[in-house]
Amino acid sequence: MSSVMKTTRDVKGIGLSILRPDAPDKVTGQVQYVADLNPRGLLHAKLLRSPHAHAKIVRIDVSRARALPGVRAVLTAADIPVLKKKAPTRAHAVLAIDRVVFAGQPVAAVAADELAIAEEALDLIDVQYEVLPVAADPLESMKPGAPPVAELGTEADTSEALAHGSVAGVTTEAKSAKAVNISQQARLQRGDVAKAFAESEVVIEKTYRVPMVHQGYLEPHAVLAQWDSAGNLTLWASTQGSFNTRSEVADVLELPENRIKVIPMECGGGFGGKIRALCEPITAVLARVTGRPVRYVMTRREELEAGMPAPQVIIKMKTGVKRDGTLMALEAEAILESGAYSGAVLAVAGVFLASLYLWPNFDVKGFEVLTHKPSIAAYRAPVAPQTIFAIDSQMEQIAKAIGVDPVEFRLRHLQREGDKMANNQPWLSNGAVEVLTRIAEHPLWKKRAEWKASSKDGKLRGTGLSLGGWLGGLQPTGATVRLNPDGTLQVLTGQVDIAGTNIALAQIAATAYGVDIDKVKITTGDTDVAPMTGLSAGSKSTYTVGVAVMQAAESARNQTLEIAAKELEASVHDLAIEDEKVVVRGVPNKGITLASIGKKGNLYMSKVEPVLGTSHPAFSVQAPAFCAQLARIEVDPDTGEVTLHNFVVVQDVGKAINPLQIEGQMQGGAVQSLGMALTEALLYDDKARLTNPSLLDYRKLTSADLPNIETIIVEKPAPHGPFGARGVGEPPIVPAPAAIANAIEDATGVRLTHLPLSPERIALAIASGS
Amino acid sequence: MAKQVLSCTVNDEPAEVLVQPWDTLLDALRERMGLTGPKEGCGTGDCGACTVHFDGKPIASCLLLAMQARGHSVRTIEGLGRPGALHPLQDAFVRHGVPQCGFCIPGVLMAAAALLTENPRPTEEEIRYGIAGNLCRCTGYTKMLAAITEAAGATAGRRS
Repeated sequence: MSSVMKTTRDVKGIGLSILRPDAPDKVTGQVQYVADLNPRGLLHAKLLRSPHAHAKIVRIDVSRARALPGVRAVLTAADIPVLKKKAPTRAHAVLAIDRVVFAGQPVAAVAADELAIAEEALDLIDVQYEVLPVAADPLESMKPGAPPVAELGTEADTSEALAHGSVAGVTTEAKSAKAVNISQQARLQRGDVAKAFAESEVVIEKTYRVPMVHQGYLEPHAVLAQWDSAGNLTLWASTQGSFNTRSEVADVLELPENRIKVIPMECGGGFGGKIRALCEPITAVLARVTGRPVRYVMTRREELEAGMPAPQVIIKMKTGVKRDGTLMALEAEAILESGAYSGAVLAVAGVFLASLYLWPNFDVKGFEVLTHKPSIAAYRAPVAPQTIFAIDSQMEQIAKAIGVDPVEFRLRHLQREGDKMANNQPWLSNGAVEVLTRIAEHPLWKKRAEWKASSKDGKLRGTGLSLGGWLGGLQPTGATVRLNPDGTLQVLTGQVDIAGTNIALAQIAATAYGVDIDKVKITTGDTDVAPMTGLSAGSKSTYTVGVAVMQAAESARNQTLEIAAKELEASVHDLAIEDEKVVVRGVPNKGITLASIGKKGNLYMSKVEPVLGTSHPAFSVQAPAFCAQLARIEVDPDTGEVTLHNFVVVQDVGKAINPLQIEGQMQGGAVQSLGMALTEALLYDDKARLTNPSLLDYRKLTSADLPNIETIIVEKPAPHGPFGARGVGEPPIVPAPAAIANAIEDATGVRLTHLPLSPERIALAIASGS
Repeated sequence: MAKQVLSCTVNDEPAEVLVQPWDTLLDALRERMGLTGPKEGCGTGDCGACTVHFDGKPIASCLLLAMQARGHSVRTIEGLGRPGALHPLQDAFVRHGVPQCGFCIPGVLMAAAALLTENPRPTEEEIRYGIAGNLCRCTGYTKMLAAITEAAGATAGRRS
């Protein structure tokens, strides 16, 4: 799969910073997101959501709402017979039956002529709740006797875990113990931990805590549903995977998949939060009941209160080393708070904790715990930033404690290709050593002592770095490449293009076939027409769909050459594609244009087959991708305020198919990572109600908070990637929390272990000297 | 309450539409006039995706009632430039590869355009504060800064 097609001249394809052809439409407001669609007869949907995190629904009266002029439907769970009392996943919990398990859970749905009428109708629905005790804190929720979240014991939902990660290669087990809110458990062990700790000379024990955070995509969840008279459903969706949306909606509503067409609209950001179905099933039901197109757009408050955020992760970690730096033992307990439904990628956490560095003895326990909060989903490299925050902070502290260079210490113990991960799988080829080595050569790292010494005006200066990564996702996928009658190429996949992956795929097709990029058009098809295509997630769009496109283009090229060989009475082996012609090597003036081959495939009575390259590969080899980040900061010890002066991202991308787009991924991922490090947290009160449900109070980083993000691309080819490419999207969100915590310690001498690293936390830690 | 007639100027053309008294300017633009370039990312004035020019000043159109625009001039992203005739800022955003998901981009461009009208040669810090009311989750802002800086030079250059 890594073969590079031989073209007789360099085409404009991979490796170039080619601009996205859809960019002019994006900068002029012409691209269409779901909320921009306004078909004739459109109805607007609203959901009535529970104000309580845990309550019994005693009675619902919708009669007053139904009587409001302009209201076309008011539904409760009783109106939707396919709903099951025990919803196996969040998507199945379309409307609450008898009981609500998080604040913001939908209880009733309205469709009306105008949004304002739908909103008014919500006020006319009378719900009588009996409020029940709440499990608001995962550590309390783990204990026997805690208020139960799932009604009939808990069911593990490992589909998210499987999706990402097969990533981990660890089986997690469903748990139905007395501690009713522990929904999954995992354990990874090697060696004799007790003996190794007894022989250790430096033992460090810390608890790291990362709160729930929201993916923060700017476009809230949105969907438009319409049925035709034959009973076919069309969904215009903001989704990271139209085929996955189709499957989930079909499953929830018990519909055949070929009766549902999902049209993936422009997606205004997903980052993992738009993989699973959320509001699609209820919108489809409202459209069926009313016989009208129905549009549902979540408000920002609903997004924050009842979206699918990242889990809170609490990691207790204990490490033991010899004074000479020999690693002895790692003991860790990772608690992932999953909210009201199971779905955390527990195994990934375990593998990251024990696999990045070579611990001869380890014992890592993982628990997924349910609470009365909105259930969680993936967020760009799910649980990697949280676990790397713990392990990298710990490595930094060990290096400091034994007085060795922190980069050399990491490099000495970093697992290399072939080393056994905690799940006993070998590490595959990756660039961890390369990116860490590269960032340590950066002048900002070399001059960290000077920066610290230059502290003035009472401010404290420091530098920190961190290494993190992602194992790389896999999913079967498909693509076709056609030769048109005018010699241009048409590429078709079902890949939702959020970040610019389509231009990279088109570049791959151009190079693999042997024409310039301007001859290639790529289309994202809907689920009726596109070949089955995986999610835009897991850093695998280019890595997997890129292979499908490359193979389909190679197949189209081979078909083209075979047709040309017949036409030119030459051997295929003597042919080449040059300047949109198939030419015979060494025979000037003998050739046939791609256009005439394309034309012959579409001529009445022609005997030449149309060129149609197809590929539908499955994959078994991941491509781990690593990123190192460096922060140069200044801390005001009185206020705890951190000023970022410089931030550097070094990332191994295998082969940079489109460097410009990759830089954008690295910069955006880094700033999300910095947001997790410095400002972001979903804050809940003791009744599990969100206390900061707005973008004023859920504080994301703005342009005024940041310096320019410097990017350095490293290319260590992935053996099975298209032209050596690796996944790019996820690695840059991983390292910043540890890099910032390390920089704060360098500046102030205090070690912080709870995110976000807010001014309040920093100032208090400095004041207490801890 | 009955619908009301909103008469104003939108993208240099006279506009007259029926709006509800509770419609925001953003509602009126998107739902009544079909100008869906301005986006609703929060509805509470925190994200900047709905930024338009109101008599030349950047505002969050989700915070203004539609009828407050009566007699005023409104410019949306559709009135900044169009494919084939891009505003220098739009052109710079394309060439610097700024847009990823694209949802914040119309608001950022309107904020940046207003900044450059008021301050044709902004410093980096002035640009950072000029678009600080516009949240972007994809880009990390770095390429935006480069594009706006370059367009500022280009704009000033054209005038001289």
